[in-house]
Amino acid sequence: MEPLRFIDKPLTWGHAGLMVLMAVAVLAVVILFVTYAIYFERKVIGWMQFRKGPNRTGPLGLLQTVADVSKLLLKEDTIPAKADRGLFILAPALAFIPSFAVLAFIPYSQHLQFADLNVGFLYYIALSGVTTIAIVIGGWASNNKYALLGGMRSAAQMISYEVPLVISVVGCVMLAGSLNLRDIVEAQSGYFWHWNFLPQIVGFAVFVVAAISELNRTPFDLPEAESELVAGYHVEYSGFRFAFFMLSEYVYVYAIACLTTILFLGGWHAPIPQLDFIPGLIWFVLKFAFVVFCLFWIRATFPRLRVDQLMGLAWKVLLPLSILNIFITAACIELFGMGG
Amino acid sequence: MKGMMKGLGVTLKTLGAKKVTHAYPDVPIEMPDRFRGIQHVDREKCIVCNQCARICPTDCITLTGKPNPDPEKKGKVLDTFDINFEICILCDLCTEVCPTEAIVMTNNFELASYSRDDLFKDLDWLNDNTKNIRQDNNNIGAPQRGGGKAE
Amino acid sequence: MIRTEELLLNVGPQHPSTHGVFRIIVRLDGEIITEAIPVMGYLHRGTEKLAENLNFTQIIPYTDRMDYVSAMTNNYVLCHAVEKMMGIEIPERAEFLRLIVMEMQRIASHLVWWGTYLLDIGALSPFLFAFSDRERILQLFNELCGARLTYNYMRVGGVKWDAPEGWIDRVKTFVKDMRLRLDEYHNLVSGNEIFLSRLKGIGKYDADTAIAYGLSGANLRSTGVEWDLRKTEPYSLYDRFEFDVVTGKNGDCYDRYLCRMGEIEQSIRILEQALEQFPGDGETMGKVPRVIRPPAGETYVRIESPRGEIGCHIVSKGKAEPYRLKFRRPSFVNLQILPKLLVGESMTNLVTILGGIDIVLGEVDC
Repeated sequence: MEPLRFIDKPLTWGHAGLMVLMAVAVLAVVILFVTYAIYFERKVIGWMQFRKGPNRTGPLGLLQTVADVSKLLLKEDTIPAKADRGLFILAPALAFIPSFAVLAFIPYSQHLQFADLNVGFLYYIALSGVTTIAIVIGGWASNNKYALLGGMRSAAQMISYEVPLVISVVGCVMLAGSLNLRDIVEAQSGYFWHWNFLPQIVGFAVFVVAAISELNRTPFDLPEAESELVAGYHVEYSGFRFAFFMLSEYVYVYAIACLTTILFLGGWHAPIPQLDFIPGLIWFVLKFAFVVFCLFWIRATFPRLRVDQLMGLAWKVLLPLSILNIFITAACIELFGMGG
Repeated sequence: MKGMMKGLGVTLKTLGAKKVTHAYPDVPIEMPDRFRGIQHVDREKCIVCNQCARICPTDCITLTGKPNPDPEKKGKVLDTFDINFEICILCDLCTEVCPTEAIVMTNNFELASYSRDDLFKDLDWLNDNTKNIRQDNNNIGAPQRGGGKAE
Repeated sequence: MIRTEELLLNVGPQHPSTHGVFRIIVRLDGEIITEAIPVMGYLHRGTEKLAENLNFTQIIPYTDRMDYVSAMTNNYVLCHAVEKMMGIEIPERAEFLRLIVMEMQRIASHLVWWGTYLLDIGALSPFLFAFSDRERILQLFNELCGARLTYNYMRVGGVKWDAPEGWIDRVKTFVKDMRLRLDEYHNLVSGNEIFLSRLKGIGKYDADTAIAYGLSGANLRSTGVEWDLRKTEPYSLYDRFEFDVVTGKNGDCYDRYLCRMGEIEQSIRILEQALEQFPGDGETMGKVPRVIRPPAGETYVRIESPRGEIGCHIVSKGKAEPYRLKFRRPSFVNLQILPKLLVGESMTNLVTILGGIDIVLGEVDC
């Protein structure tokens, strides 16, 4: 199959139509993922708590999320009287659009990629920053004190954690000699100890922590800390607007799980080259599912951090560690000729 | 880190553990015999002694008697008997004091209803509430015949 | 210049972490609390006033509803007060049953606290771990007295029900399992570094402050004061069993956590001994007059409830109803230190501190 690189080709009506079709296909895949990620999350957390999880809507409860989403979509659309109407409506859309746009550059296997960007990872960081603004806007526009506190926390948290997130990846970039995600995966070919998570163990650890924090998931779910801020920035949202916030949150789970797989777990490569007869896409999905499972697993186990500790962790621990990682990587490349 | 790893281990182990969820509305829950559910009133046994209405801490029982229609027999028989389940707390004191076990507990507990009126149960309803009647009523508060403990 | 102002935030009465209908008005500077005003009384039912028109048997179900997480100890404190006034002897078997259910209740109550506290801190699973074990205790209580929450089990002079067939053995199995489960709890939570950093050094006070505020229970013991009424003023049969008073050192939330977890372990120890020594047969009701009329006078008894010192003060005029009944509710007294502790803390610590005090709103408002 030819690499799906439309961007390189001249834009014609046919190509444009194809691009739209592909985007719709990705949207369908993502929505399917979100539907079953939520189902899977509830099942896993249920099993970890002596429960069975959703099992009453449809066979094995498979239609639970469908039912929940339909309920949200059919719900009355409420906007608080004292809210800033324009911003209140804008925020959910602004949160969702970048989350979907970041999916364009993810390579799923050797040939399956939508946009082969040379700045790959930076594109993700640039766009995901927009969602932070949406959350702050949502918290501000709700005209609710809890929402405002949640929005403030979210802004502080996400901006702080983007820094170590980016810097932790620099090590991988140095080893591959490219920001292009496909090149980074190619640089990890071979046995599983060539995957970046071992040579870049520090970077990997920092990346995982910062990524969970970017996702606002336990133990970093302070913006929506239920026991303190009730629901944080989306306390006034209901119906389909709330659904958009939820959707963008899970699309980011999808994006981050893909990125972890690509940057540190060897993307579509088999753990040992002898298993190469299994298609790369399957390996990718397996690794991806493992990362998603770990996110749920952590959510079922850990308590939440405190705001000041959260900031301390980002600036005092993760940032120095990730910078140190860059120097160590550089030294290793120079002294032992690692990577490219 | 060690503490976190231990925690992750516990949750992972629980993943395959036996689940405790009941399939409740599909499979009814069997309550032990002593369970205190909605009362059953046996109109034949009642001697209209008013003990239950007097002991009730929330005054949810109202009852009236009438002279025995059979002129041969002395005493009264039950005319009306109402329990207001809006305020009944199922404390078991009415069955504890009943000397004839005319009012006894059952193991039924499903009282939810869309109307408050449904919670007002009259003698006919209580008399027909005969499912899962409690076997051992242990009416320690009732006056015992002959002063001593009745067998 | 940017205009800044303080934020007046209303927490509760409907809030996930106030554990009931409790309200705190907090004045926030950023996320730092400058003032906290607790507002109570949303669950006030006037139990003490109602009791003045009820005889003592009728009051027992009302005590169930004060500290509804620990109804057995409430039952006991009322019955114990009346028995003391009237000088009633309790048969040994009844006293054993009372002690066993009270210690089981202590475990159940601490489990509820543990689960909900961890939920406040943001961990989801401990809540269901705790409740699945508490469920076993409730099931045992259900078999014993026919109710899962409001037991109405004790009577002046004894207990209403003797243990059913095989019940003692089932409790023994439970106690054995509970020991293992407690280790699991510690593995799940107690070592977690996030958890430790959330609790250590938070909501700190010293022994003098605790005594000045009249705190009791784990809130007092966490400062190092060895004050457990089961040891210091033994009632029931507690002087027959070996157990330790668990104390802390620093008086912070973490020490309170350790105290309560330690108390579960001590309760298991007491239960193990009590179940071994449980008399084979005997009466479950002492000799009690038909109508309970305590002689004129007054009395105050106190016992150790899971939350602290619960006391019952009866003023009797020789009638079947009390002239005045007053409960010293540990939750209410322990809560008084809250405004002092909250000043200068963040919103997140509000939840940690409030949860650490372990209040039950039914008891605070009574």
